[in-house]
Amino acid sequence: MKVKDVMIRDITAVFADQKVEDVIRICAKHLFTGLPVVDDEMRVIGFISESDIISGAVPSYYSMLQSASFIPDTNQFKRNLDRIKEKPISEFMTKPRIVKENDSAIYAADLLIRNGWRAMSVVDEEGKLTGIVTRMRLLWSMLEEER
Amino acid sequence: MEVLTVTMNPALDREIAIDNFELNKLHRIFDPSRYFMSPGGKGINVSMALANFGIESIATGVLGGYIGRIVEEELRAYSNLITTNFIHVDGETRENITIVDDLNGTITEINAPGPQVNERALEDFLRRYKMGLSRVKIVVISGTVPPGVPLDFYNPLVSMAKEKGKMVIMEARGQLLKNSVYSSCPDVVKPDMRAENRCLGRDLKVVNDYIEATREILKYGAKLSVISYEYVKDVIGTKDGIWMIETEEDVSKAHLLGTGDTYVAGMVYYLLRKGDDMLGAAEFGYAAALAKTKYLKKVFPKLEEIEKARKTLKIERLM
Repeated sequence: MKVKDVMIRDITAVFADQKVEDVIRICAKHLFTGLPVVDDEMRVIGFISESDIISGAVPSYYSMLQSASFIPDTNQFKRNLDRIKEKPISEFMTKPRIVKENDSAIYAADLLIRNGWRAMSVVDEEGKLTGIVTRMRLLWSMLEEER
Repeated sequence: MEVLTVTMNPALDREIAIDNFELNKLHRIFDPSRYFMSPGGKGINVSMALANFGIESIATGVLGGYIGRIVEEELRAYSNLITTNFIHVDGETRENITIVDDLNGTITEINAPGPQVNERALEDFLRRYKMGLSRVKIVVISGTVPPGVPLDFYNPLVSMAKEKGKMVIMEARGQLLKNSVYSSCPDVVKPDMRAENRCLGRDLKVVNDYIEATREILKYGAKLSVISYEYVKDVIGTKDGIWMIETEEDVSKAHLLGTGDTYVAGMVYYLLRKGDDMLGAAEFGYAAALAKTKYLKKVFPKLEEIEKARKTLKIERLM
């Protein structure tokens, strides 16, 4: 089974100069957990996930805490989110998460699990976005193949 | 990817076949095959027909709410030759209901207006549209626009595509079409005549009115004009002349559902695979639409059925 057999053929993406708020809005409406970041020619230049935004909005000392129970309430998180929502995606996006349509599905699964990603971009030979592959889609496709 | 289809106002189409349909009467449907649900909207239908012909396309436009997500999922499930790239807005994508009465040869359509679209969503759409242009050869812009979308919205879509050297095919009506023809005329213009026999603000009654409208469309730069005449005929115009196309076959009016979109898909197929002869494209589009009339539901014809339908065509030169 190849990536092209399990991918979602949707090229919803964002540009690096769009706002963090745009990512939240688009992901909420599409029920996505993250989006590819592309240039004007649709070449994938990064990825922005819900985790990247949450990491940008939690207090800076959060990573030193053993548990979130040490944080008294969500006010600081909300304030931080308000502060970053107008900022460009380029400040929070990570490097491109890429597989090609002819890569094996097991290779995509390995990348998703090894890196703790929920979704990644699928590109053509020119590096242009052709779709996405998600953990759940992989599981569903495996299940469907058995039937 | 070869084609980008634009559907600003998609729909969830519900086709119901009811023999002897009457107003003010309860009609129960016992056979599930007479009740059919599918993603719809003119551009989306073109993408579906193209997938049937083995052509990849990107379907773009505006979707909203729960119905919008169903349309998107169903469209992707229809064929892996269709890639989706829709923006999502608040509000619900519309549902279009069609009641087909095969016994009496009638077709009753109820089309809702669609969700409100704000300026921000349109800006998002335009940027995505521009990006999508880099991937394709032909752009198909079809159908109406939902509330909030200005009636000159197709103008920048056509000019952006033409600036990038893409061929633009448009099927629309009313002010939307008129604005496009007069500003940056699409390469192929097919007025949507289902609701009324009007084109570019004029009533079309006799064949000369159709010829005049065709000449007007060509004058503004179209390479091909296709205007439906008396349901089963078409007035075709190219730089080389004006023709009337019809068929020797009997066609029921109840079977015309979806034929316009199949016509457009047929023209796209011809222009991509067979050559750039505009009259040939119209002839192939007509044959595709004619082959579609063999199916009551949203089932698109096979290429061999189109070739068979082509043999029944009569083409008469008008000018």
